Amino acid sequence: MQLKRVAITGLGVITPLGNSVETFVEGLARGENASVYLPEWEKYKGLRCLVGAPARLEDEKLIPRQNRRSMGRLSIFAVQAAQQAIKDAQIPTDALANGRLGCVIGSTMGSAESIAEAFETLIPDNDLSKLTSTKFFQCVSHTAALNVGQFLGITGTVMSTNAACASALQAIGAGYEQICLGQQDIMLCGGAEGLHPTVVGSFDVLFATSTKYNQTPKATPRPFDAQRDGLVCGEGSGIVILEDYEQAKKRNAKIYAEIIGYTSFGNGSHVSESNREAIIACMQETLKRAKLAPSDIDYINAHATATIQGDKEEAAAIREIFGAKVPVSSLKGNIGHTLGASGAIELIASLIMMEKSIIYPTLNLVEPDKDCQGINHIQQPLTKKLNILLKNCFAFGGINASLVCKREE
Amino acid sequence: MTEAEVIKLTNEVFVDSFEISPSKLLPTANIFVDLGLDSLDVVDLVVALQKKFGVTIRDDERVRSIRTLGDLQQFILTIKKEIGK
Repeated sequence: MQLKRVAITGLGVITPLGNSVETFVEGLARGENASVYLPEWEKYKGLRCLVGAPARLEDEKLIPRQNRRSMGRLSIFAVQAAQQAIKDAQIPTDALANGRLGCVIGSTMGSAESIAEAFETLIPDNDLSKLTSTKFFQCVSHTAALNVGQFLGITGTVMSTNAACASALQAIGAGYEQICLGQQDIMLCGGAEGLHPTVVGSFDVLFATSTKYNQTPKATPRPFDAQRDGLVCGEGSGIVILEDYEQAKKRNAKIYAEIIGYTSFGNGSHVSESNREAIIACMQETLKRAKLAPSDIDYINAHATATIQGDKEEAAAIREIFGAKVPVSSLKGNIGHTLGASGAIELIASLIMMEKSIIYPTLNLVEPDKDCQGINHIQQPLTKKLNILLKNCFAFGGINASLVCKREE
Repeated sequence: MTEAEVIKLTNEVFVDSFEISPSKLLPTANIFVDLGLDSLDVVDLVVALQKKFGVTIRDDERVRSIRTLGDLQQFILTIKKEIGK
């Protein structure tokens, strides 16, 4: 069976640095860090990280109430990013309901804010009658996919990937496979996440958050740096339009890149500790599927969240396969860890880097930690033609994902 | 609670929870046809009214026969009087 080729023809984002691809990339180019101190989190006992990278919720009332009522914060972000991506790709409205267009959108879980509200309503009196009808649709794990699907009237495949921080890259991978197999022609894919103290808390109890920089939030997170002390949570959404390559060429669509390889593997060893062998296996399989040698990769957009253990393992895996040749950077220093959205938001930034022939550096990386050395850390903007890039995402639960994109000539 | 107070508080629910313009809140307005509520909204309407008026109406069979905003306001008035007794 001849697999179809898959093009990326549209991009849309809501990020802590701005609510369009243009403003987001401008923020990256200026070397901005969206981390801020959040005094409203002080009320949570035991929460040590009081820094986050919030996105701006705006224009949500442009979404009709009867669509919006089932959306928590993350679904609103997903809908807005999807609208941008559809406009960017110039997808005709009648394609949305022709059965050949679908969406796969992931998140770590349902809207954390809505889940917290639901329990705050339910628990004091154990009274279910106080719950509104639409809370369920905000809380379910497939909330982003269902809301984008309903809002846009999508009648093709609607799926959700919920693999924590690998959710968005798995969504893009799943959409890629749908098109490869000829089951759908166009897929809206990506992820979304909402910033909430309960989400930060899940990392905080595992000592995975940044806690030493509450008074100097712009100095954290610090991926690969010797002074890194953990991740900072962000929020937003990234959506890409994937399309049958030949169809995209036929309609003269702008092609940002072609996806030529994707893998998602489990580590089979530990729920929270990254494992270099598993990361190596995931990246190597991706190269194999894309029929590439390590030397073919021009840039690696790392997962690197600034945790002590995760960065060390990813750096070791990259060192093992690519040595010190291939440029590597992480965008977590700019936007924090947008969790289930990160794979899509950071891939979109990488595609713009490919378009502009520039690599944005790892912000706050001043002195690479001894455990993270031996790879080509980019600490200043670097002008470079990028023909092929690799994006990594690694999730709690031991789920890794890698994706390779090739520039359209 | 006077009839005027019930009307005012009921209308507040429609404005706050369902973003309906006050100008549309006529006693003859059909909740479904004129005000645009659907089955999910009716669940939320009951939740909001229970909170607003401190009443329990979720399992009251009379809710099913309500069609207009005026019907609803009269039903709330009746419930409040029943509680008063």
